[in-house]
Amino acid sequence: MLQKPESEALPILQAEGEKDGGRDGETQALTASQKEVPSPLLQETPKEDLGARREEGAAESALTPKGVRTLAAKALARRRAYRRLDRTVAELVQFLLVKDKKKSPITRSEMVKYVIGDLKDLFPEIIARAAEHLRYVFGFELKQFGRKHHTYILINKLKPLEEEEEEEEEDLGGDGPRLGLLIMILGLIYMKGNSARETQVWEMLRRLGVRPSKYHFLFGYPKRLVMEDFVQQRYLNYRQVPHTNPPECEFSWGPRSNLEISKMKVLGFVAKLHKKEPQHWPVQYREALADEADRARAKARAEASMRARARARASASERAGIGPW
Amino acid sequence: MEEGRAERRRRTEALSHPQGGTRRAGVMTDVHRRFLQLLMTHGVLEEWDVRRLQKHCYRVHDRTGAVEELEDFINNINSVLESLYIEIKKGATEDDGRPVYALVNLATTSVSKMASDFAENELDLFRKALELIIDSDTGFASSTNILNLVDQLKGKKMRKKEAEQVLQKFVQNKWLIEKEGEFTLHSRAILEMEQYIRETYPDAVKICNICHSLLIQGQSCETCGIRMHLPCVAKYFQPSLEPRCPHCNDYWPHEIPEVFDPEKEREAGPSKVSKRSLRSRQH
Repeated sequence: MLQKPESEALPILQAEGEKDGGRDGETQALTASQKEVPSPLLQETPKEDLGARREEGAAESALTPKGVRTLAAKALARRRAYRRLDRTVAELVQFLLVKDKKKSPITRSEMVKYVIGDLKDLFPEIIARAAEHLRYVFGFELKQFGRKHHTYILINKLKPLEEEEEEEEEDLGGDGPRLGLLIMILGLIYMKGNSARETQVWEMLRRLGVRPSKYHFLFGYPKRLVMEDFVQQRYLNYRQVPHTNPPECEFSWGPRSNLEISKMKVLGFVAKLHKKEPQHWPVQYREALADEADRARAKARAEASMRARARARASASERAGIGPW
Repeated sequence: MEEGRAERRRRTEALSHPQGGTRRAGVMTDVHRRFLQLLMTHGVLEEWDVRRLQKHCYRVHDRTGAVEELEDFINNINSVLESLYIEIKKGATEDDGRPVYALVNLATTSVSKMASDFAENELDLFRKALELIIDSDTGFASSTNILNLVDQLKGKKMRKKEAEQVLQKFVQNKWLIEKEGEFTLHSRAILEMEQYIRETYPDAVKICNICHSLLIQGQSCETCGIRMHLPCVAKYFQPSLEPRCPHCNDYWPHEIPEVFDPEKEREAGPSKVSKRSLRSRQH
């Protein structure tokens, strides 16, 4: 049904100057496919009630061949208009859901610009239908605030979760348990002096009841998770140990692990697991303290340079004469 | 005339009913709504996660209710989603056939989830990578080849270093998969963009001979050139002792993968060495 968008650029990935990824092309592509259809919404006055046009059609005689053709054409055009209206409502629903994910309020003018286009006189009906879909299908309420500015937000109407239900929900999508497994591995690596042999990692996991090639209800295939996903996501480094025969491989912390977690935190986790204090392992504890000091220094340096840059910018704008005076 | 009146009446009725359909649409409860909200949040989920999600939604909103069979549960929701031109689509990972689910648009012109998360030049980088992937024989595009196109991107100028980060962002958001410095489409991208890809690249696109869906990675017959997904190969050749091409009957030269079975213990994907040689033979 949709025309291939040859003149229009790729609708989904097209971005024309807008950071959001230009939806102009998208609504254009929709109208392109509808171009061949003379929609009554465009030709006749769009303010007209669609039902009124039905009355108009009834007045014409249906009995002459020309009359029948005209009626049929009108009915077809009307059907297409309704379809177009439905499509616009559906697009608006998706637009609102996507925008709401970013937690920013949506304005009426955005909706008209990116979705509704020349149907903007039907805005009240379109937004009312969209709101009903959002409520019935997704459990969101479309709330308007600032009547003057026509801004909208979505409110979740589903009942709030109990604490344990919230935890359960966080576990879903695999991230929770998978990251738990990752921390176990990071802990092992750290306690073994910042690198651990592959065999040691699988040995530890086997003791936890996790076998590399046995599909696990929380981790999927653990071997794939550890050897592929964690390595690709830069949580772990995996390399062959030189001069080993038969060749052995080892894991170490990947750059992303260093960014997202610290040695002190991992040591704390290991300590809790063994029901001891971090100081129980003096070597690792000293190393973690040094790491904390490094991080604090790096943070202070970054903040200082940011302040310096801000000062430079302020004095530059002063010199340029920008300011209230 | 009659039609217009009837159509109008149907529209003002509860919006859960699809227009003009004789099939009765399902009923949405908070169980279904929470399920949809969470599926939307994650973008794509594997089947075992989807089952856990379903049970969680029942526990929260309908503790005493019987958990509906997943397929019926999803069909029920899809009948309601029909009027919104979206659906919960089931697919499979191309490498080992793990079932996955995502909420996808049925109309390709709709507001895209990608478009809201990335800048103009980032989307163009994705498009370039997508084209390389579709044109390739293996379904993979090398990092080098993608990065060499950085100068041709629309929008703000992007350096290669920055482009590397953007590619990682695509991996983290489950649009691309990276393997040994090469990129292919994540099952999420295949699910969400199949229709768009088929319409935009009708000549370059590859189709599986068995399931007739979009094919990015797979095996091909060296004689007649037809292609099959790895899980489709596994299912099709499962009972046979001597695998032969379904189209030209020539001997099928590739290693036949195992059918995905969550209960059975097996080698989780081919080992690194044989994977490389497998890929070079597969087209």
